[in-house]
Formats: sequence, C-alpha cells, structure tokens
Amino acid sequence: MKRRKFLKSLLALLGSTTLVSFAYPLVRFIAPPSKKAEVKRLSLSKGDIPAGEAREVVFNNTPAIVINRPGKGYIALSKVCTHLGCLVEFNKEKARLICPCHAGEFSLDGKVLSGPPPKPLTEFPLRVEGESIIIG
Amino acid sequence: MWRRIKKGLEVRIGLEDLVNTKLKRYTVPRNTNIFYTLGGVALAAFIIQALTGFFLLIYYVPHSDHAFRSVQQIMTSVPFGWLFRLMHVVGANLIVAVVFLHMLSVFFMGSYKKPRELTWIAGWLMLLVVLTFSLSGNLLPWSQLSYWTTTVVTAMPTAFPYVGDYIANVLRGGEFVSGVTLNRFFALHVALLPPVFVLFLVVHIFLIRRIGLSSPPFGEQTAGSGEWNEYRHVSYPDGYSFYPYFVLKELYMVLAYLVVMFFVITFVPTLFLPQGANIPADPLKTPAYIKPQWYFLAPYQMLKLIPNKFLGISIQLLLLAMFILWPFFDTGRERNILKRPLLLVAFLASLLLWIVLTVWGRTS
Ligand code: HEM
Ligand code: FES
Repeated sequence: MKRRKFLKSLLALLGSTTLVSFAYPLVRFIAPPSKKAEVKRLSLSKGDIPAGEAREVVFNNTPAIVINRPGKGYIALSKVCTHLGCLVEFNKEKARLICPCHAGEFSLDGKVLSGPPPKPLTEFPLRVEGESIIIG
Repeated sequence: MWRRIKKGLEVRIGLEDLVNTKLKRYTVPRNTNIFYTLGGVALAAFIIQALTGFFLLIYYVPHSDHAFRSVQQIMTSVPFGWLFRLMHVVGANLIVAVVFLHMLSVFFMGSYKKPRELTWIAGWLMLLVVLTFSLSGNLLPWSQLSYWTTTVVTAMPTAFPYVGDYIANVLRGGEFVSGVTLNRFFALHVALLPPVFVLFLVVHIFLIRRIGLSSPPFGEQTAGSGEWNEYRHVSYPDGYSFYPYFVLKELYMVLAYLVVMFFVITFVPTLFLPQGANIPADPLKTPAYIKPQWYFLAPYQMLKLIPNKFLGISIQLLLLAMFILWPFFDTGRERNILKRPLLLVAFLASLLLWIVLTVWGRTS
C-alpha cells in the first residue's frame, strides 16, 4: 500500500513537471515577440494641407491623419478607432472623423462625440518648423 | 463478392450481432418528428465542409501575398474550383442555420433537461467551434471583407482592462491584423478545430446513445419523464428501428439540405460573397460596407446600440454563458413548453428580438 502511494505521488510530480515545463515555452511561443516601436520622424510640407483639409500618412506602422483645423492649427491623430480598430474617415462637410464600422464619431481634436468608442483617438506629437510639419 | 466480405466480417467481428443490437434493436420513439433529423443533417453538413475544405487546400496558398490570388484562381482557372469553393462558402453559412434550428428544436422540446444537460453543453461547444471555424475561415481569402471583420472581432477582448490588449495581440500575432494573423488562423482552421470538433461530436453522440433519445413532450407522456435519481437507459420497446427507418428519414433531410445548397449556388451564388469579398485586403482603408455574416448581425447591431464598449461586450458574454448553462437554471420537471407560458413567451420574445436585431443590422 505504501509503495502504491509513493508511485502515485511520483507520477503526479513527474506529470505536473512535464506539463509545466511545456506550458511556459508554449505561452512564449504563441505570444508575439514584443518589438520596440522605432520612433521615426515624419515630415510634411505645410503647402500639402490647406486649411480644412487633411492628409493620410503612416506613422510608425500606424495609419494616421494630419488635419489642418481651421483656426486651430495642425493635429496628427491615429486613424485607428478606439472602439474595435477600424480606420476612421475624415468627413470634410461635417468636420468630423467617422468610423464606418459601428458609427463612432470623433471631433477633429480626436474627442468622442457619439457612438461606442470609449476614449479619444491617439494623438501624435506634432510641431511646425518654418514651412514643414514634423510628426514624432 | 459482397457476400464473401460480409461472411468474412461476420466470422471475425460478429457483424450481424453488431447491426442488430446497435442499429436495428436501437429504437427511436414512434412520435419523433422531423426536427429530430436536424442533428444528423448538421453532422452531414460538417462532413461536406471537411471534404470541400480538403479540396480547397490543394490550391489555396496560406500567405498574405498569395492568398487572395490563389482563391481567385480557384474560382476562375482551376476546373470546377468554383464549385467546391461555393459549396464550402455556402455550406459554412447553411451549417450554422442547421445547428441553430437543431438547438431551437431541442430547446422547444425540453430535451436539454435532466439527464441531458451535458448533451446540451457538448452541443454548445460544437456550436462555438463552428463559429470559430467561420471566423478563422473568413480571414483566409484575404479580402477587404476578411481583413476588416477580423480586425473588429480580434479587437473584442480589448474591452477588458489589463489582459484585453495582451489577448488581442496574441490572437493577431502583433498590434494589427497581418500576414502573421493569417497564418495563425490558417493553422487553427485546418489543423486544430477539426479534431476539437470531432472530440465534442464523439462526446455528444456518446451521451445521446448512452442516455437514449428523448421523446417529444407533447401528447401523452412516454418514457423518460418522471423522477431521475439513478442512471437508466431510456428505450422504446415499441418504437421504430433506428436503421432503416430513422436513417432513411435522415437521408431525405440530408438531400433536402443539398437541394438548398445547390439552389443557392445556382441562383444566388454571391449571396454569401458580398462586395468586400472580391477586393484584396487593404490595411490602410476600411470600406464603408463591411458587415459581418448574417448570424453575427444581431450581436453586431447590439454593439452599435449599446454606447459603451465594456458593457456591450460583457452583456454578450453573459447572455452566452446563460444559454450554455441554461439546463442548470431551468431545473423544473415539466418538459412541455406549452404548459409553461412564461418560458414560451420568453422564448418567442428572444427569437423575435434576435430577428429584429438581425434585420436592423442588415439594413442600417
Ligand atoms: C454541428 C453541431 C451538432 C451536431 C453535428 C449535432 C448532432 C446531434 C445528433 C446526431 C443528435 C441526435 C438526433 C437529434 O435529436 O437530432 C443530437 C441530439 C441533441 N443535440 Fe446536437 N448536434 C450539434 C449541435 C448541438 C447544439 C448547438 C446543441 C444545443 C446547444 C445540441 C443539443 C442536443 C441535445 C440536447 C440533443 C438530445 C436530443 C434528444 O435526446 O432528443 N446539439 N445532436
Ligand atoms: S470600430 Fe469604430 S465604432 Fe466600432
């Protein structure tokens, strides 16, 4: 009886060790390698974006939009909707960014105006130097 | 020839006894109705998916640079490629319809009640696998429709704080849907899900045979009603033989399924291939017309209506958990829904709500 008990515990021990020693590699294997986003600057010329217009760019792999807000200057926003990741579209007439997926609407500052998105669009740092707009 | 094979098998495995005990003397209640065949139709539908899926694999290239083209080639230059692709696409939609109907009829007849709770759960697990099949398969053609529906679905976990972003990243293999995602979903679709489905199927069928089929609760009460405190097999000594009677009935229904499938393929071949399905994926442009498949329209419309991301997704998960665990909430012995006005009203109201949300999601 003692012997059986010993064998049972040994089996449990070896079994769980085997299981655990594969669980960790598996998790690491499936999870994507975390890569540091290399911050690369992007520069545009002011002439590209007249007042009230917008221009689409890709900034550090993220689809983004640079808007020239009448009276408020330039802003660079991520186009990735904070609801479920569709890309918002610039609507000039309404002066809004509208998501085609679940009708989320954002102001040109990136603030949520209506719909399900929980937070504002991500804003990227932007500054104007002479005739160029520098993002990043 | 045939007789010699039969004789050989008889000597070695006792064929006749096997057929007699497992098929002929296994009886189904005399009052089974047409809805009892739906489980078998779902099974046939699954086999059709497995076969046509295998055919598509012969030409499909699972790489984001080639996937879209390879699917176009299957449709246009591979001889009869269109046939097998359409069977797979149309079948993927019809199987969901069949499984829904099967579930509704099982619910309506109260067959989920004790002792069949586990059968119900195994069924639900299969339904979830079927939906995962659909979500993963949907990405494989690498079209605009594929790309953006997958973006939305893989973003669902982000409704949950802390772990949400991590889960979404694991699903996608990165921050955005990309070729990495395609390969993950491909592996899931062709290598993991089929054996998982078969596993649940074996459990489902085992439970049904071990417990015995339920009889419809309408009309005079038959076996299976009454107290259930210890295991017993429900049998119908005066019922019909499973083989050939029930099997023939099933075959009729399987043929009806094929009729529907070929009707769609012949007269409305693009029914399940809307606009965005014929444009290659463009990660920089979300088209305006993206809609999920018809069976996800109700949850989709709910997401649009509930103006809070966390709430919208949590409510759906709670509803799902409630349906899966329903037999454990609804433990009364009465199986006849017609004698339970409250449940009947709730059942019809939910069904109506689902239809309304679906139509609304389609048209809005
Ligand atoms: C592809 C998926 C499925 C397949 C292949 C399948 C197959 C079957 C088969 C062959 C039967 C026996 C005959 C019949 O009553 O139709 C059956 C019965 C049953 N199924 Fe499914 N099924 C599936 C999904 C589901 C789902 C989603 C549910 C519910 C959540 C479910 C719940 C049940 C129950 C409770 C029974 C027992 C009915 C009785 O004993 O009268 N099944 N299934
Ligand atoms: S993804 Fe933008 S509103 Fe849902």
